[in-house]
Amino acid sequence: MKIALVGNQNSGKTTLFNLLTGLNQKIGNWPGVTIERKIGRIRKTNYELIDLPGIYSLSPYTLEEEISRKYIFEEKPDLIINIIDATSLERSLYLTTQLLELDSKVIIALNMADIVERKGIYIDINKLSKLLNTTVIEISALKNTGIEHLISHIRRNEILENIHNKIYSPFIEEIIEDVKIDVDHSRFVTIKALEEDEMFSKYQNEKIQQKIKEVKEHYNSDVEEVIANQRYNYIEDLKEKVLVTKAVKKSTTDKLDKIFLNKWLAIPIFAVIMAMIYILSVGVVGSFTVDFVDARIGQFGEWLSGRLEALNTSAWLISLIIDGIVAGVGAILNFIPQLIILFLLISILEVTGYMARISFFLDKLFRKIGLSGKSLIPFIVGSGCSVPGIMACRTIENEEERKMTIFLTPFIPCSAKLPIIIVFSSFFFEKNQGLIAASLYFLSIIVIIISALIFKKILFKGKTSVYISELPEYKLPDVKYVLRDVFDKTWSFIKRAGSIILICSIIVWFMLSFSWKLEYGVDVEKSILAGIGNSLAWIFYPIIGEYSWAATVSAIQGLVAKEQVVSSMAIIAGFGEDLAETSLIFGSSIFAFFTPLSAYSFMMFNLFSAPCFGAIGAMRRELGSVKQMLKAVSFQTGLAWVFSTLVFTIGTLMMRIFL
Amino acid sequence: MNKKKLSVGSEGHLNDLVIGQKAVVLALHNDNKALRRRLLDMGITKGVIIEVKKKAPMGDPVDIYLRGYELCIRESETKNIDIRVVE
Repeated sequence: MKIALVGNQNSGKTTLFNLLTGLNQKIGNWPGVTIERKIGRIRKTNYELIDLPGIYSLSPYTLEEEISRKYIFEEKPDLIINIIDATSLERSLYLTTQLLELDSKVIIALNMADIVERKGIYIDINKLSKLLNTTVIEISALKNTGIEHLISHIRRNEILENIHNKIYSPFIEEIIEDVKIDVDHSRFVTIKALEEDEMFSKYQNEKIQQKIKEVKEHYNSDVEEVIANQRYNYIEDLKEKVLVTKAVKKSTTDKLDKIFLNKWLAIPIFAVIMAMIYILSVGVVGSFTVDFVDARIGQFGEWLSGRLEALNTSAWLISLIIDGIVAGVGAILNFIPQLIILFLLISILEVTGYMARISFFLDKLFRKIGLSGKSLIPFIVGSGCSVPGIMACRTIENEEERKMTIFLTPFIPCSAKLPIIIVFSSFFFEKNQGLIAASLYFLSIIVIIISALIFKKILFKGKTSVYISELPEYKLPDVKYVLRDVFDKTWSFIKRAGSIILICSIIVWFMLSFSWKLEYGVDVEKSILAGIGNSLAWIFYPIIGEYSWAATVSAIQGLVAKEQVVSSMAIIAGFGEDLAETSLIFGSSIFAFFTPLSAYSFMMFNLFSAPCFGAIGAMRRELGSVKQMLKAVSFQTGLAWVFSTLVFTIGTLMMRIFL
Repeated sequence: MNKKKLSVGSEGHLNDLVIGQKAVVLALHNDNKALRRRLLDMGITKGVIIEVKKKAPMGDPVDIYLRGYELCIRESETKNIDIRVVE
């Protein structure tokens, strides 16, 4: 059996999905967290459950809403679970009344958030069920109550048949009966044809056109509006009968918004919060944990190489394991403490409801540069990983704004770029690590603004755009979800270290240990990797002021995964001479040329140039063509090169003048 | 912009309201059919009561309260909604 989970945006669908299936799909507190369908199995059954993006009606407006309508019509689920948010009963029932016009079976899960109780709202569920002629089950996705009840109803198939209530005026109902189109979902399709919905234009005929005219004359407005009005009238009437509201006091949300949406404070508070995220995740832990983990990995390497020697392992194998794998994989495992803090802070930011506010108050500013306030959500999601960030662009209504946001999202430093920032800033800017990280973040915002302005001028010509979004209530983060989310993201970082980074480390080791003639143990300057790097080093000369094959090949490996840059540098460093004990990478003769200035410009290039293959793939999917993707990647890389060259050149000149 | 505050009973557009004012919707114009449909779907229909709750720091978009929830829309939309002030 196939069951679809349908409901308004931000109504708790995915929270319910996670409870029903035992999975931990991403949730958040802004409209449009779920942007593609997710499939799971309801616990203790073999029923397939599909979590669909939130919709307000069956007339989709954005890409991800289209996915939901398509699914309902094309995949024909056996049952629809319609989740209704009790705090916004009216708007939720608008979708419900449309679902009840389909031929599908519908069961309603009435989600009673604790906000409802605090608001003093009481809903008579039996009455609601009777009036709608549908089974209604009370649940609380937050407190995990009523879920078993819902499952047992589905298992025992105790669900009322959908009998198509007549909810419109007799005048309209008569017309619907009169022009009835004989297909699946007949009532729904007939109404859509009367509304002249383009998706159902093939059902148009003269009789329908005639009736459309009659409705227009009778009500003095078009059918769409008449239907919407009458639907809402029916719901208002229904609500009157089932809802008891006690006096409402000023909600916490309004009080908080007095501060967070304050005319003067909103933007400074936002800047402080974003800066704090980077200062906390990079600055606070500082080099302490990195040194600690580094030392442990170093000890492990020594211990392991001792054991291997004792086992008479050949020299090349020991080198592969110690200089290749342990150095490469170990180098990025150092950063797990910082990543945990970053993931934790982003996860909290996502579930509180603040994201929707940021997009609200920055909308006007963003519109000036050709973006929408909604572009902010991909940017912030992208600070964890660009891939979900790029996909989050689907909620942006306007096609051009959406494409532009996809182009720009990879500029935001993602968590895999954090190791690069930490490695350079902990050595060259030891005292101000956190500030350097925050400065790069704000630099990325500047890069985004400049690029947006360039796009607005040449690539996209601004058309009318739209911003319609619900403003959710603030919520306290669900500790269990947040911890699991942080764990999942950290675990997937570790898994990447154990798979893709491991393989790259072996390849890098091989190319460093062998010459083109496949002689083992040659001088590193004669290795395959050095050869490749030397042929391309001119590209990076303007950025770091040095023909360095090592920096060149490391930066290129960022395409595989951004943390691979650090991993590669760590392996290469091991092949050089130790000049200083202080730092694994910069103490090596191969990377000793880096200065604070070239460190900063090199970091910039790595942060802003083409993202990893994963994100490039996501760009291709979301932009819809390879051509557009190539445009985006070359733009990003070109811009990164120009900017980092500018910083290095201007910095060098200034130092000559002032020092 | 120092707009004159509309008094109770007078008619105007949704963007004329100041924070805290309530009005009843009289008509919804919009040349963009899909957008108009969306606004209808979100509950902005004839006769609904709307309260202006919050404005973004730069005055646009606005956050309105209707049908038990809060909705953010831009001035380009609110100016196309005819209203009569009720409170």
